[in-house]
Amino acid sequence: MTTADPAAPAAARPPEPARVRRARWAVIRAIVAKDLIAVRRAKAVVIPMLAVPVLLMVVLPFGVGLAARGQDGGTDLRRILDSMPGDLAEPILSLPQHEQLVVLVNGYLLAPLFLIVPLMVSAVLAADAFAGEKERKTLESLLHLPIPDRDLFVAKLLTAFLPAVAVSWIGFAAFCLVANGVAWPVMHRVFVPTQLWLVMIFWLGPAVAMLGLAVMVRVSARTRTAQEANQLGGAVILPLIFLSVGQASGILLVTLPVALAIGAAVWALALVLVRGGMKRFTRDRLAARV
Amino acid sequence: MSGTGGRGWRCWWGAIGQHGAVSAAIEAVELTRSFPSGVALDGLTLSVDRGEVLAPLGPNGAGKTTTVRLLNGILRPDRGRARVLGVDPAVDGDAVRRRTGVLTEHAGLDERLTARENLELTARMRGIDWAAAARRSTELLERFGMADRADVAVQGTSTGQRKRLALARALLHDPDVLFLDEPTSGLDPAATRDVIELIGSLAAEHGRTVVLCTHFLGEAGRLADRMAVLHRGVLHAFGRPEDIAAELWDGLDARLDVGGPLGDDAARALREVPGVSGLAPLPEGAMVRVADREVLPRLVRVLVARGVPVYGADARPPSLEDVYFAVEARIAAQETAVASPTAPRAAPEAAR
Repeated sequence: MTTADPAAPAAARPPEPARVRRARWAVIRAIVAKDLIAVRRAKAVVIPMLAVPVLLMVVLPFGVGLAARGQDGGTDLRRILDSMPGDLAEPILSLPQHEQLVVLVNGYLLAPLFLIVPLMVSAVLAADAFAGEKERKTLESLLHLPIPDRDLFVAKLLTAFLPAVAVSWIGFAAFCLVANGVAWPVMHRVFVPTQLWLVMIFWLGPAVAMLGLAVMVRVSARTRTAQEANQLGGAVILPLIFLSVGQASGILLVTLPVALAIGAAVWALALVLVRGGMKRFTRDRLAARV
Repeated sequence: MSGTGGRGWRCWWGAIGQHGAVSAAIEAVELTRSFPSGVALDGLTLSVDRGEVLAPLGPNGAGKTTTVRLLNGILRPDRGRARVLGVDPAVDGDAVRRRTGVLTEHAGLDERLTARENLELTARMRGIDWAAAARRSTELLERFGMADRADVAVQGTSTGQRKRLALARALLHDPDVLFLDEPTSGLDPAATRDVIELIGSLAAEHGRTVVLCTHFLGEAGRLADRMAVLHRGVLHAFGRPEDIAAELWDGLDARLDVGGPLGDDAARALREVPGVSGLAPLPEGAMVRVADREVLPRLVRVLVARGVPVYGADARPPSLEDVYFAVEARIAAQETAVASPTAPRAAPEAAR
């Protein structure tokens, strides 16, 4: 039996030895590894999860690059740009006409859509990690293992969060290569990533992933299958996507500090929701619903 | 001893306190848990000795699974307390779970992983290092006859193989207490026999305590030292089958085979033998209620003296199955009596 009373307040408990901390992280890593191996083999999860990133980050910039290369003298985008906010349109209009299509689509329009990737990947994986365990009837045997509730929650969170961030970062790297590579004959320079792009990918993207995750944790607690969780989660997440797209469009027009502040606000909201989810994530509550 | 009803266990608690500290692996006192759908377990008090096999029995919804979940600390009791290997599962569930292994009703294996991956990753989740996890998994796969299916995804294995694999998983850390929740449900007869033999060998190892929840009475009868009959969350009987039987019935049933119906004279003579309390005719002879097996030779002598050939005389102690159905009949009679106080009471005899 352990000597520390788990019911005691955190401040009253002795600090955890490094060896114990390492052992707990090893267990968390094992849960994450198990879930990710399983997800990797589930085509129904992997294919939709990768299709959107490939479409957004590879196919679309490739097509836009090819289209720009095929237009002698460039495409006339004046009508489209005229309907856009002046602050956004002016820098594009100041570019040579043959560069405008590439910069407009790859540099501006695709950027907010990128936020869908971490949001979607984290939501799909969270549904599989939380509601999927119930559906596959594997939750009870997991609860019977000697893993503290908090570690179990953290492991499940990481199972969804880490791949979401990894997919969006790898996808972004692929996007940069494809966008710059295919458009090189038109642009003759590296035009992505910009500073604001980097804020979106490395600051706002992970925040949005965490937000999607936090929503799905709540949703999964009320559903019996991953499909139900995805459907219910979609109803909650879709408005968030539109909000994100709107926010992100704005970010591209604002200064770096404002973009950072918006990211911080999303992080704060996500963490508040995650914290609430963690409090409600107890064995008793889960076992009562198995 | 056996119980006379769920509420009759309060007096028995004293006995737990006296010997529990020395040998009890599991103790529960007034353990109660409700869900929005109703009371799942109501005042469960029992004790299981180290090395003992206990069979909680009862129909679906009796409270068997809730009992396992409470004892292993994944549910918290509304009232009452428990100690498993000296630790309160509601206070330090992880300490309990480090020393217990559980086979859940649904094997609970990840079907997308192979048999070996299921074992190795569960071992890692129990804090066992990679090398030891791999070694132990290989040992268990061989022991449970799964070595040739080790690298096949679980979704490609039979229900029996999954049960064996789940049993192997429950043993990865060599637990002191094993909770088995419906270990043979969904298995064909051959797989059932295999799993029962495995459980029998596991129970005999290292004085391991086994809690075998089942509604298959045959397997409980073969493996259990004591039985606990639960009905709608209430413990109605607890003890060794023979002890409960002694409370339910006076004496033993003895089957006399005389090769045909017993004549009236012979039947009358048997009823007059001291120690005989009842007689029921059978096509091949009679079933006679005797005080003990020493009465049997006297019955045989009486029949032989009357020229009646005796081909067999067998005093069969009541099986766990007999006892279980008698307790169930008593519960049904009690419920009928509560619902309709004027209704005649069914006797346990009817169930035997």
